[in-house]
Amino acid sequence: MVEARISYPPPLTLWDRINPVRMIGELSETRYWMYLLLIPSALLITAVVIYPTLYGMQMSFREMRLNRPDLGTGWVGLKHYQRMLTDPIFWVSLRNTAVWVTSAIALEFLIGLIAALALNRNLPGSKVLAVLILLPYFLPNVVAGHMWALMLDPRLGVINDLLVKIGWLEGYKAWFADPSTAMAAAIVVEAWHSFPFFTLLILAGLKGIPSDLYKAADIDGAGPFAQLRLITLPMLKTIIAAAVILRVIGLVNSPDLLLILTSGGPGRSTQVLSLYAFQTAYKDFNFGYAGALSVVMFILLMGFAWAYVRLSKVNED
Amino acid sequence: MAATRSRSKLLWDVISYVVLVGLAFIAIAPIVWTFLTSLKFEEDIVTRTMQYIPSRITFENYVKLWNQSGYPVLVINSLIVTTTTVLLCLLTGTVAAYAFSRFQFKGRTQLMLGYLVVRMFPAVLMIIPLFIIMRQVGLLDSTIGLAIAYTSFLLPLFVWMLKGFFDAAPKELESAARIDGTTRLGAMFMVVIPIARNGLLATCVFVAIAAWNEFLFALMLTTSQGSRTWPVGLQLMVGEFQLPWGMLAAGGMISILPVIVLFAIVQRAMVAGLTAGAVKG
Amino acid sequence: MATLSINSVRKSFGAVEVLNNIDIEVEDGGFLVLLGPSGCGKSTLLAIIAGLENSSGGDILIGDKNVNDVHPKDRNIAMVFQSYALYPTMPVRRNIGFGLEMRKVAPKDREAAVQRAAELLQIEHLLDRKPGQLSGGQRQRVAMGRAIVRNPDLFLFDEPLSNLDAKLRVEMRTEIKRLHDRLGTTTVYVTHDQVEALTLGTKVAVMKGGVIQQLADPETIYDRPANMFVAGFIGSPTMNFLKGTLEQGDGGLVLRHAAGTLALAGLQQDVAGFVGREVTAGIRPEMLDSGDGPASLTGVVDVVEPTGPDTMVIASVGGQLITARLGPKDRPRPGEPLTLTVDTTAINLFDPVSGNRI
Repeated sequence: MVEARISYPPPLTLWDRINPVRMIGELSETRYWMYLLLIPSALLITAVVIYPTLYGMQMSFREMRLNRPDLGTGWVGLKHYQRMLTDPIFWVSLRNTAVWVTSAIALEFLIGLIAALALNRNLPGSKVLAVLILLPYFLPNVVAGHMWALMLDPRLGVINDLLVKIGWLEGYKAWFADPSTAMAAAIVVEAWHSFPFFTLLILAGLKGIPSDLYKAADIDGAGPFAQLRLITLPMLKTIIAAAVILRVIGLVNSPDLLLILTSGGPGRSTQVLSLYAFQTAYKDFNFGYAGALSVVMFILLMGFAWAYVRLSKVNED
Repeated sequence: MAATRSRSKLLWDVISYVVLVGLAFIAIAPIVWTFLTSLKFEEDIVTRTMQYIPSRITFENYVKLWNQSGYPVLVINSLIVTTTTVLLCLLTGTVAAYAFSRFQFKGRTQLMLGYLVVRMFPAVLMIIPLFIIMRQVGLLDSTIGLAIAYTSFLLPLFVWMLKGFFDAAPKELESAARIDGTTRLGAMFMVVIPIARNGLLATCVFVAIAAWNEFLFALMLTTSQGSRTWPVGLQLMVGEFQLPWGMLAAGGMISILPVIVLFAIVQRAMVAGLTAGAVKG
Repeated sequence: MATLSINSVRKSFGAVEVLNNIDIEVEDGGFLVLLGPSGCGKSTLLAIIAGLENSSGGDILIGDKNVNDVHPKDRNIAMVFQSYALYPTMPVRRNIGFGLEMRKVAPKDREAAVQRAAELLQIEHLLDRKPGQLSGGQRQRVAMGRAIVRNPDLFLFDEPLSNLDAKLRVEMRTEIKRLHDRLGTTTVYVTHDQVEALTLGTKVAVMKGGVIQQLADPETIYDRPANMFVAGFIGSPTMNFLKGTLEQGDGGLVLRHAAGTLALAGLQQDVAGFVGREVTAGIRPEMLDSGDGPASLTGVVDVVEPTGPDTMVIASVGGQLITARLGPKDRPRPGEPLTLTVDTTAINLFDPVSGNRI
């Protein structure tokens, strides 16, 4: 069979010699290619993450108050860290962070698990319901916050109205103005916003459990709750742990929702660490102390990040 | 036995439906309520007796928002920031994801873990120095500066998500293409990226939604109307007026509309990419 | 078309040696099969020939040109992959013509070449479909079409049939042989299937642990395996190995075994140095037949497996299980005593220490 004859390698035309695409193509056949592909993003990450983080860390050892230029920007050693030890707001923030993170995650996990189990039955129409259930996770914090602030408003909140109508409440309640309910209300909003994250991951995990296991359990006579306890949850262990760690990091990290809902108030009842660091920087303009607070958060978070990396490494094996 | 089994299956099906419909209701009730509120007259919002279904409908809130509060500028700024962020991620992140997916080299695992971990750095720790650095280089209070700042947490995410989609394209395809006469560059653009195009789209949409929604960086790194994005503008309205609920609701509805539309379109690929990225780690 | 020379090719990943001084010459129009279990280095060797991987040392010559530093795209080779590696976003027509397109062949000539290749493989009716709409066998044909359309110097096949079901595999094997007979293109074919190796190859390289165990034509590989690994790897059911003592008997050499004494008439090996020592005899199942003779083994029937044309009998001789391929009518019962006569002209004796053929 005589096919189209081609000479090897094809002769180069003049255009080939100066064609930039061809030149990059030739470069791609060298062993430096992969490094060339990585350089742009690595440079960008260095510029916007690594450098600022190091800068922030050294800032925590300096005096840096934008509203007090007279103090200069000299080194102060561990001064900010020492102040933290005796700063009652820091300790309150730390405690609030723990409450905020654990309660929100417990609630998100529970709702997320139930939603995932129900969705995993693949009933007709569950695709549409899944889209609706997952939607809150993709909505902006600002809008989520305002929606709930509107519904929980002490004068015109629809939730107040409903609760009064069914007799659970005597009168309208100012949920975010009462120190005893502010944190709980914020946790409800947060749970609404982020439970779909658990649904997403658990659903993916459920799809990976071989259905033979359930058939075998059926034959062995295990009921639905026994199957959940003995098959589903153990099989999902890694994925749940990964999801929890990622949420911990997300919750410790971002003060957005609390900033919008309560700004840490009333009093200090919803003051969390990230919010405190944030306000120290942009209300008090004390960048040095804010830097020290962030470094503490950084160390906390890297502990969880380490746990996550370990977990996913175990996964690879 | 079979009868009780199918009856218990039916029972669980019913329970599942109740749970799903209930959760779907909880998930979208705030959106629906906000939408209804945005269509009410101010006096119907602050009325003594709650109006569950608006007795009369008005678009006054939307008109007022659009004409008086400078909302169009905010939306345009957000669009510029979002587009720039996606472009930056596309230009630098696509090739990085490709390299991670395709090549074995020294330090690959460490670098990938690095990309994973920088996503977990506290935002506050970065914002303060970014504020100072951006001011020094003249990018503070600019849409470009904000977009660059967004890549700090969105680029690593983009790379990880896209790597998952690239991994799904068999490596033999590139070998075949290279034997067929392409360079590695040609194989990437002619064979691998076309296969991963849905994943690429989903990843871009995810990054776009995140950039569009972002509040904290925008609050800190923009200071004037010229570069402010809509989440900051909406939040500042709370201070400027006495809780203008109608306008806030209208602003919220306008702003989440693109998110809902985009999510509905690419949700399947996006969900797949998100979970793969988080689970494989 | 061209010859292929593989000269002292080595490959190591860090401290792990994957290929150890490989030397192979393939004549113009030859069909080389690289055969071995997974992990033996055969696919790595193929990737090095293709230029997809770099060797750690040694030379690859296609024709008389050293291609060590030539990119895969410039080697004028074609390859068929185990997963077929069809471009899923392109219709079959463009898949087949992609190599010509990349080499800037005019669309008209390209179309004609694609058409001829499709006719040869009987896939003209599939040209406008996407790979996702094809069956496994059809994909296999498209992958072959993509390889032959360019009239390359060298065909490379990487386990091309292992994703097909048994019936299609046999069909496509014949197809590949027919294509090679017709086109005469020098071919390198990687497989772990010994039947494919023996039926297709003009030359078979049996590999293990990055080392070539034997490089020879199929008959030699089957009849005179270089060592016990090759002997055991080739043939199904596998060769029986019996340990015994080699002695000088009255009428010639004999092998003394617990289950009988075999008079080694017609032995084709020079075993002078091993008289009085223990050796391993390799006896293929078809070299055994029921009945008594000068070389026979007695034992007890363990399992009987009728396969249609043959009856496989697994018998215990001297405490060891051996397999005999008997005639279809020959159906001993389990537990019965059995005497097997051995065709000693085809027997192979191995050094039990080194495993090599004496």
